[in-house]
Amino acid sequence: MPKPGLLSAALLFGVAAIVLVLFPLPASTDSGDGTRGPVALAHSAAEERAAPGVAAEDEEPGGQHQQQQQHGGGYKVVQWEWSYVQTPYIIAIWLLVASVAKILFHFSQRFTTVVPESCMLILLGLVLGGIVLIANKKQLYQLEPALFFLFLLPTIVGDAGYFMPARLFFDNLGAILTYAVVGTLWNSFCTGFSLYAAKVLNVIDEKVQADLMDFLLFGALISAVDPVAVLAVFEEVHVNDTLFIIVFGESLVNDAVTVVLYKVYISFVEVGPKNVQTVDYFKGVASFLIVSIGGTLVGLVFAVILGFITRFTKKVRIIEPLFVFLLVYLAYLTAELFSLSAILSMTFCGIGANKYVEANISQKSRTTVKYTMKTLASIAETIIFIFLGISAVDKSKWAWDTGLVSCTLVFIFIFRAVGVVGQTWVLNRFRLVPLDKIDQVVMSYGGLRGAVAFALVVLLDGEQVKAKDYFVATTIVVVFFTVMFQGLTIKPLVKWLKVPRSTSRKPTINEEIHERAFDHILTAVEDIAGLQGYHHWRDKWEQFDKNYLSKLLLRKSVYRKSELWEAYQKINIRDAISVIDQGGNVLTSARLSLPSMASRASFPEFTNVTNYLRENGSGVCLDLQVIDNVPGAKVEEDTETHHVLAGNLYKPRRRYQSHYSRHFMPLGEKERQDREVFQRNMKYRMESSKSTRHKRHKKERSIKKRHGSDPKEESTEKPRRNVSWHDKEPVLVPVDSEDDKAEHSEKDEDEGITFVARKVETPKPRPKSVPAAVEASSSPLASPLSRPPSVDTPLPWKGGVGSPPPCVSVEATKIIPVDLQQAWNQSISSLESISSPPAPPSADAVHPRISALSRIPGAPRPASYTPSSSSSFFSTSNTQLVQGSFLFPEKIPKEEEEDESSHELQPLMSTLKPPPPATTSAPPPPPPVFLRSLVSAPPPGNTEPWSRGPTQL
Amino acid sequence: MGNKQTIFTAQQLDAYQVSDHVYSILFYRYRDLAPQLVPLDYTNNPDVKLPYELIGSMPELKDNPFRQRIAEVFSEDGEGNMTLNDFLDMFSVLSEMAPRDLKAYYAFKIYDFNNDDFICKSDLEKTLNKLTRNELTEEEVRMVCEKVLDEADLDNDGRLSLDDFQHMILRAPEFLSTFHIRI
Repeated sequence: MPKPGLLSAALLFGVAAIVLVLFPLPASTDSGDGTRGPVALAHSAAEERAAPGVAAEDEEPGGQHQQQQQHGGGYKVVQWEWSYVQTPYIIAIWLLVASVAKILFHFSQRFTTVVPESCMLILLGLVLGGIVLIANKKQLYQLEPALFFLFLLPTIVGDAGYFMPARLFFDNLGAILTYAVVGTLWNSFCTGFSLYAAKVLNVIDEKVQADLMDFLLFGALISAVDPVAVLAVFEEVHVNDTLFIIVFGESLVNDAVTVVLYKVYISFVEVGPKNVQTVDYFKGVASFLIVSIGGTLVGLVFAVILGFITRFTKKVRIIEPLFVFLLVYLAYLTAELFSLSAILSMTFCGIGANKYVEANISQKSRTTVKYTMKTLASIAETIIFIFLGISAVDKSKWAWDTGLVSCTLVFIFIFRAVGVVGQTWVLNRFRLVPLDKIDQVVMSYGGLRGAVAFALVVLLDGEQVKAKDYFVATTIVVVFFTVMFQGLTIKPLVKWLKVPRSTSRKPTINEEIHERAFDHILTAVEDIAGLQGYHHWRDKWEQFDKNYLSKLLLRKSVYRKSELWEAYQKINIRDAISVIDQGGNVLTSARLSLPSMASRASFPEFTNVTNYLRENGSGVCLDLQVIDNVPGAKVEEDTETHHVLAGNLYKPRRRYQSHYSRHFMPLGEKERQDREVFQRNMKYRMESSKSTRHKRHKKERSIKKRHGSDPKEESTEKPRRNVSWHDKEPVLVPVDSEDDKAEHSEKDEDEGITFVARKVETPKPRPKSVPAAVEASSSPLASPLSRPPSVDTPLPWKGGVGSPPPCVSVEATKIIPVDLQQAWNQSISSLESISSPPAPPSADAVHPRISALSRIPGAPRPASYTPSSSSSFFSTSNTQLVQGSFLFPEKIPKEEEEDESSHELQPLMSTLKPPPPATTSAPPPPPPVFLRSLVSAPPPGNTEPWSRGPTQL
Repeated sequence: MGNKQTIFTAQQLDAYQVSDHVYSILFYRYRDLAPQLVPLDYTNNPDVKLPYELIGSMPELKDNPFRQRIAEVFSEDGEGNMTLNDFLDMFSVLSEMAPRDLKAYYAFKIYDFNNDDFICKSDLEKTLNKLTRNELTEEEVRMVCEKVLDEADLDNDGRLSLDDFQHMILRAPEFLSTFHIRI
């Protein structure tokens, strides 16, 4: 692969260049001062030492100079305050360098797939270190253990723990613990003794003054698999989940072993091997238990606290993420405080709290937590690797001994492999899914050492451990070898061995359900057999969790919903979001060209099983798919999408961000812009499609006019559109009205249209290929106009398909409300109360009547809907029978009411009122229509209904 | 296991792919459930049934939503009264050596509450309600069910046939592989 090589070289030069550019930043200004060197880094370092002296010299003589030169006028217009900003400045620059380096590495797709990022970062570190060394003759930066253990490591571990797939982790807990404890012990002892043997045999140079204890100590710190390195490499390799979780879990859990061994040996070394008594060994074992179990407990305690706190953050959403970070970090620090295993503590805090926190905090907070954690972890990882590289350049810190280095390399590799094979052999007698040979190879090969080992070795006391310098050198080589060589080759290896890769597929609803059901079944069978197996304990735990923990740690509104339901919602949300993300594409392809089948296939998200099946299914059932027959999942998703869309589209128009508040998160300008763009896009498309389909629509329109649902509609096109829009509005009145005022009606219409378009497009693809497509594309346009007819159509489906809309709406409420909540605190409470299952009954109580009304096309509805906008919402929503659905509308009105002066509504309402009476003869009362169209859009038949509606009328 | 020969004939043992050891463990477990009913000598295939009440009333099982269903599916009479054969069948289905299709078939049967060889909506609703302990509203249940059907119903007949079910389950590679019990 010559190309990657070239590329890498090019990249390196690029990076180096950038670094050169970056670093002089402070220096250049400096040089103006004349006192600073050209290389900032070197400089900054130099400063630490030189600063006092130089500064003092500078100032005193400088002061005199000043006095002499500009007598009396002691005030400098521009002052050089480097020492003031030095520390944060350097940190920031480092972060910048690291981030830019990351960007550069990812310029070339092909390159990054071959070379792991960690390798490149280490190389970059080497280059940087070289530069600094040359510039300064001295290495100023290196991976400080304190910095590493207090800041860099926790960010990575926190991220890993919090997002650790809990079930997978616990499913493989046995294996993980075995590898972590037994494996690490084995590695460390064997490596230590073997090295000692090598030393005795004079393979290792005599300069290396070390005895058995030193080697054991070294073995302990070098034998632990490093979580940072494993994460960095394995994340890119994408081996299957089980394999990953075993290696990664091991790397996390073995921290306890490493910590204890390290401490025990250090104390032994300090005391001197001769003074070690047998009691001390037992103390070591006890210490291991305390460190590991204590660390875990600390983590769990903090997890409970975290869950408990987030239960009450409803009113202060903005600091929810902070709690997550703080408490997880506190778990780490606390464990460190008691010299327990901090990594274990943090990991378990993350694992334990994740479920409850995720359920408690808002969607936005979730996103924030996720992104912040990932950002921090990613940058910490980058810095760790860069610093590893930089540290390696510093010759003064290490001393080379070929014998030691090569022995260590060979030993750790051999013992790792032997250990893995041996343990796997034992484990496989107990595992349900045995680990096969390939897995073992990958596991042995994936035993990467990393920064933890390096930091530990640097921490060694040179006085006590005479061979520290040799150990440092060896550790660096080992780390580099494992991270770079093994990291580089593990990918081809995995490919070559055909290790089953992980699929990014998310579980389908089916899997969620069946997995749970299987658990129950297995537990039952185990119980019948009188076995107390894993399932038994899991079942017990779930009972406990359900009966006590959830009640304690989850908000009332949350814990009533079952996990299954949560999962379902998550899947829905994911689908909806993915559709939105791809919105542009979907629309273009779906509307302007053929229906969405092809376009859908192109989405990554749709490659999952569900959709694959679905697509197959749709292919099979093209003919069968009568409107009533198949409530297609696509359609459902569409509904959801529509709802999400509806929420998203409308939000930007509101003016709720008029005030700045630290506690509210205003809708980001960017976000709004995105939406604006999106809407504009839609509009544009609508327009273009309109032009082509204009004629057809005219027909429909004329038909509509005849029905005379709204007298105003019959005016010119534009007015008519407005009117039609207004008609729909009643449901969502406030929003629209604002929009109308703020911008011109056209846009609003487009928004409205957009939903319709979406709905239409998805359903269409299935039923008929080309004609449907045409219809679909036309339908968006038509939809606004044709809505009145549509009013009727949704009702019939409701009977049959009804369910999909509700689900959509519920989910939508989940997504959308969250955003809204931040804007309006008041609305939150109402929302949550509504969203919780208990609330629905009341709605239902209202519902029958209303639904009945709604079903009756003409007169009745006006009456129900006239009273007040909110009531109309209720009624329409109730018709849907869905609590969730009614939530959504409900909330909006409220907010609107709060936000806008009510009089805005009034005019609209008044204008609207007249139409309804008029419409009595005509089936579709406009206002409810809109809502319903949103909600009911998904039902399978909808495409047809929409398109058909006009003609029927 | 000295007395196992006296309990079972060699043929009986061959009929099951479980080892003698496991076989005897299961037998004693079976017998422990109802010592008064189950004889120690099984060489002449006594017609003994363990009534469902005995299994269903086990304290460990009281929370398990599927206890009755499991008993029904694996019992020959379909009412949860298990013979020793049924009992052993159950474990052989769940053993690691059982072929996937067999596991899928029994899993399917467990879901198929009304024994019509299809998982239809009502079956799904039942499953869901069992799994969620009736905490979902009707609407929610209905929605989830529809989603499930949409995902897995390949022939769009509104219910899941065994083929649908197998297809769906085989798509998730680790799915059935965990449907084991190790004794």
